[in-house]
Amino acid sequence: MSTVPLLSVRGVERRFGVGPTAVHALRDVSFDVQGGTMVALVGRSGSGKTTLLNVVGGLDRPDAGTVVVDGTDVTALDEDGLSRLRRATVGYVFQTFGLIPVLSAAENVGAPLRLARTPAAERERRVELLLELVGLADHAQQRPAELSGGQQQRVAIARALAASPRLLIADEPTGQLDAETGLSVMSLLRGVVESEGVTVLVATHDPVMMALAERVIRIQDGRLDAEPAGSAPG
Amino acid sequence: MLRLLGRRARAQWPLLGALLAVVALGATLLGTCALLVTSTADRAYEVAAARAAPDDVRVTAYTVTVPSAHARSVAADTRELLTSTLAPFPTTTATRASSALRTLPEELAGRTGMPTETYLSAMDDLPTRAALVDGRWPRAAAGGGDAPLEAVLLEPTARLLRLTLGSRVRLGAELHSDPAPAVEVTVVGVVRPLPGTGWDRDPLGGAGYDLAFSDGRQPQLVHAYGPVVVDLADLLSGRHTVDRMELTAQPDLSAAGRADLEAVAGSVQGADRRLAGILGDRVRIENLDSPLPQTLRTARDQQRVTAATVLAVALLGGVLTATALALASRLTAGVRADETGLLAALGFSRNRLAAGAAVEAGTLALLAAALAVPASSLLHAGLTRIPPLSAAGLAGPPAVTTTQVLVVIGAVLVLAVVLVLLAARPVAPATDRRDPRALLARSGADVLLVAFAGVGLWQLHAQASGADARVDVVRVLAPTLLLVAGVALVLRMVPLALHGAERLVRRARGLALPLAVFEAARRPRAVAAGLLVGLACSAATFGIAFGATWERSQHDQAGLSVGTDLAIVLTTPPVAGQGVTVGAATGGTVSPAAGRGIAIGQWLGTAGDAPRLVALDTSRAEALLRGRLDGDRSWAEVGGALAPSSRVVGVAVPARSALTLSGTATGETPLVVTPRVLVQDATGLRTTCTAPPVPLDGAVHRLPECVPAEGLEIVAVSLPIAADPAAGPPGPGRSEVAVTLDAPGAVLPAGAPPWTATSAPPAPGQLTGSAVALAGTASGARLNMTTTVQLAGPEAAARNLVATAFPVPEAVPVAVSARLLDELGTRRGANLSISVGATAVPVVVAEVVPEVPSAPGSVAVLADLDAISRALVVAGNLEYPVDGWWVGRPARSDAVARVAALHVGTTTTRAGEAERLRGGPLRAGLPAALRLLVPAAVLLLVAGTVLHVLVDLRARAVEVARLRGLGMTRREVRQVLFGQYAGLLLSLVLAGTAVGALATGVVAPPLIRSDLGAAPVPPVVPHWPWAAEAALCALLVAGCLLAVAVVVTVRTRRADAGYLRVSG
Repeated sequence: MSTVPLLSVRGVERRFGVGPTAVHALRDVSFDVQGGTMVALVGRSGSGKTTLLNVVGGLDRPDAGTVVVDGTDVTALDEDGLSRLRRATVGYVFQTFGLIPVLSAAENVGAPLRLARTPAAERERRVELLLELVGLADHAQQRPAELSGGQQQRVAIARALAASPRLLIADEPTGQLDAETGLSVMSLLRGVVESEGVTVLVATHDPVMMALAERVIRIQDGRLDAEPAGSAPG
Repeated sequence: MLRLLGRRARAQWPLLGALLAVVALGATLLGTCALLVTSTADRAYEVAAARAAPDDVRVTAYTVTVPSAHARSVAADTRELLTSTLAPFPTTTATRASSALRTLPEELAGRTGMPTETYLSAMDDLPTRAALVDGRWPRAAAGGGDAPLEAVLLEPTARLLRLTLGSRVRLGAELHSDPAPAVEVTVVGVVRPLPGTGWDRDPLGGAGYDLAFSDGRQPQLVHAYGPVVVDLADLLSGRHTVDRMELTAQPDLSAAGRADLEAVAGSVQGADRRLAGILGDRVRIENLDSPLPQTLRTARDQQRVTAATVLAVALLGGVLTATALALASRLTAGVRADETGLLAALGFSRNRLAAGAAVEAGTLALLAAALAVPASSLLHAGLTRIPPLSAAGLAGPPAVTTTQVLVVIGAVLVLAVVLVLLAARPVAPATDRRDPRALLARSGADVLLVAFAGVGLWQLHAQASGADARVDVVRVLAPTLLLVAGVALVLRMVPLALHGAERLVRRARGLALPLAVFEAARRPRAVAAGLLVGLACSAATFGIAFGATWERSQHDQAGLSVGTDLAIVLTTPPVAGQGVTVGAATGGTVSPAAGRGIAIGQWLGTAGDAPRLVALDTSRAEALLRGRLDGDRSWAEVGGALAPSSRVVGVAVPARSALTLSGTATGETPLVVTPRVLVQDATGLRTTCTAPPVPLDGAVHRLPECVPAEGLEIVAVSLPIAADPAAGPPGPGRSEVAVTLDAPGAVLPAGAPPWTATSAPPAPGQLTGSAVALAGTASGARLNMTTTVQLAGPEAAARNLVATAFPVPEAVPVAVSARLLDELGTRRGANLSISVGATAVPVVVAEVVPEVPSAPGSVAVLADLDAISRALVVAGNLEYPVDGWWVGRPARSDAVARVAALHVGTTTTRAGEAERLRGGPLRAGLPAALRLLVPAAVLLLVAGTVLHVLVDLRARAVEVARLRGLGMTRREVRQVLFGQYAGLLLSLVLAGTAVGALATGVVAPPLIRSDLGAAPVPPVVPHWPWAAEAALCALLVAGCLLAVAVVVTVRTRRADAGYLRVSG
């Protein structure tokens, strides 16, 4: 295992608003994540999980601190640099799936490949492979509205993996799913960590998901709690 | 609830502002249209009456045979009746009267063996109707009683009767059943009649004499001289029987109100009966005639024709507004969906929600009405201050009328109801699968729309040929129905096109273009937005094309009805050399022209629609004729087929050459000839000079002045030969006749064909061995004509030797109107006979044209005037059938004024007629309404587009954020969104333009009417002004895309991680 972490977060601060009504969403957050591991980010609603994921994925900028993903200082990137980062290095899975409603499952999965201007034939092969990976090869032409929640989330995971990202960020991916579907999605995530070697940072409340993760990072009021025994840095 | 509404209004003021703007805009449009069809139309009616030609509003009372004792009272009572009939308008009256015929002393006119008669005349404003050549104007006899009357004579009368200033003439007793005694007159002046001042109504037409006058009392023709013009008071003094008197009242309508006009029109219609009642037995015949009621009826018809189109525009504007409102209200409902759901969950009943919507809509309606009433008044006032309304004299200050307020209130209430109904509808979930029932309902609505549009179109075309000026519901509804149905159908086509595009881009590499196309093709379409864009675009393009088609039709109608660029209808007989004068005044190509009713064989046409002959110099048809031809033909080609191969070259005679005639006749019966000489000027005008009978006694007789101007040529001579009436009836047998006409100073034409002698019908056999020879003499030229006359036989007129400078023509080639071909069932190449006056002229159909210029819609014949004249001359009719002058391409800008100064007749120009049709007060409302429609449509289209894109992007903010999350740059997201909206907009604009073009093609022709409400002639040809339409489309697309670009940029910047944080 490499000793250089894939993700390195140092002293990240994020504040919304100004003056006495300002909300400190993140306060001096620092942690590292090694590549090829699955890390669960756990905390109550409003604790700062989504903000932290957005800052890590370059969807939001910290007021202070640095975030380094695969050797790239995310906080130093401009808008285009952040877009390139999300396109090539970071994959996103949202709680609400985040699929484009007018695109079919295959087209949704192929969207990141189109952004990367992958040739059509190669794109189609990759999409087919990913849909098979998530078990939706038979639903390739269906649109999100025609899929169940679990299927939509599988499509979202396939899409997040399409561009072969080094880091997969999942924001409560099972939050809108029933227990059984949620479990299959969690298994899928675990499976892609092992099969694709992707690093997964997942915000969750689910104890099963925590159990599947190599490491659990707890956050409360924007600060990281001390990690429990046995949760070795990935 | 009210508090909630207030808070919501504060929070959503931009949306409510947009709704208010749409309602106010629609109500303003309708309010302005209401003003156009009410106050502007009324004003137009009044202005039209004020601008009407004097002859179109005059009222004339005619009385015939008024005994001397009643002359004054009849004149006074008639004047009083006319004045009261036209009250309250100020009126000026003019009287013209002439007395019964009186005998003239024989010694005055020379002993001719024929009775000699004269008459007195008098008229108001004599100095404005005649020019004083010598002496002074007559004054009323101071002493009354038997004192001599002061009189002036026309130049020819004075010359022929050898009367000079101071001459005293005793006129014999009246030739009447109750004759007034003889009267003595003193000549105090000599005058020359001014053309166009009513001398055509003089018993001798202002000529001063007629040597073959029928006095209606005896079969024998008499020599008539006159008038002897005296003061009106003398004529009406009770010493003279008034044979005819006309009193013309001219109302001053410059400040006429509609109600007064209507009242006067009714009063005039009953005035004839009142006149008969008032005059009773004091006159033998009375009659009152006025074109005023018809003029006002025509104005009302034009008003209705214009109103129908303005209402059609108003309806289109109303539907556009309703569509925009439907869009805005659906978007508002969409934005408020969550809030409405929350209120429902909190226990707000549906009725309570509807009540809230009603309060909100009512407030909006109130505010919109408060804005629309002054806005429509101001807009209307502004419209009246720019052409065409300003040019039509319809400019006026802002005004508020009851009708306008009612229309505005009605409009805002209807729109408020639309708002409430739409607000009360449940909001459909934002899925890409549609409710089957909604789809079925929409399909049903589309089918109904198409069916209604089809029926409307059918009805519109069915009534196209009728002459009905009523405001017809079909004419009002048809354009809107067709446009809405067309756009509804097109909205069905757009998805198909987009799906085609989708297939094309599916395998593209990038994401931006395919995603834009997928979004456009697959996202549930906002029907209201599509309908608004398509309808506004089609309405705007239709508005422009309809306006252009209408204008073109007015030009076509003007061109065809006038027939040329400048037409003069003569009010006095033309004089030789007049063509040159007209040419100098206008600077154009000049031709004498005939336009008169004819008979074709025995066929006189249908009632009130006699066949017409239009004849002119067709060798210059291209320069002279106007009106649309079918195919690729030109008037030059048509004219070329009708014109004679060569111009007639006669004997050129210097001005005032003293023509003399001498002749001999063998046998015992003394013979006379009544020579008629036909001279031609440089423009082809031919005038006839008739001399008194000349005895064939071997002596040389001087003819009257036949060559009054330079540049004239003698082209024909007619010699009716008769026995000398003074010598009693002719005996049997034959007579060898030889006649010589000498023209001093004349020049023989070089290389011209020899002259031809013919014996004119109907009994040409009465003359045999006719011959003519032209020879030069030491002093000029001489025509020697010989023939053998058969004296026996009944036909006095048949012994007519006609010598012409041209050979006897074949059948005259003519072009006939297509309607003539239909009515007579004839064909090209057919031989026909037309009657010009009493003379039959054989013609052959050489060409068929859609319409003959100046005879729109008529059964008409177009011919070369020279050819017709030649045919008439060889038939013994030397009268040149000229009724006016046609001028092509007049170079002088002041041609009309210069022609008017010639006092030769009334002038009509093609440009003036087109301007009257396009910009007359009763017509100007139509282009003004179209000027309202186009900007309103553009405004609603851009506003609707912005509103739709704004709300759509607000709803899709999360999706935009997700695209950013996928790694799309802002620019790429903008490209996707912009491409999607641009693609849809372009498709809809193109489709809307196509619908506009289609509507122009099928609706404009039947919708456009003539000023009388009938189908225009020539038929309307749809006109698509490419430049204007391209500019409009470019403006629409550029305006919408600019707005879309701004909205997309702003919304893309806002839709970022914040949305993901909230949603995800």
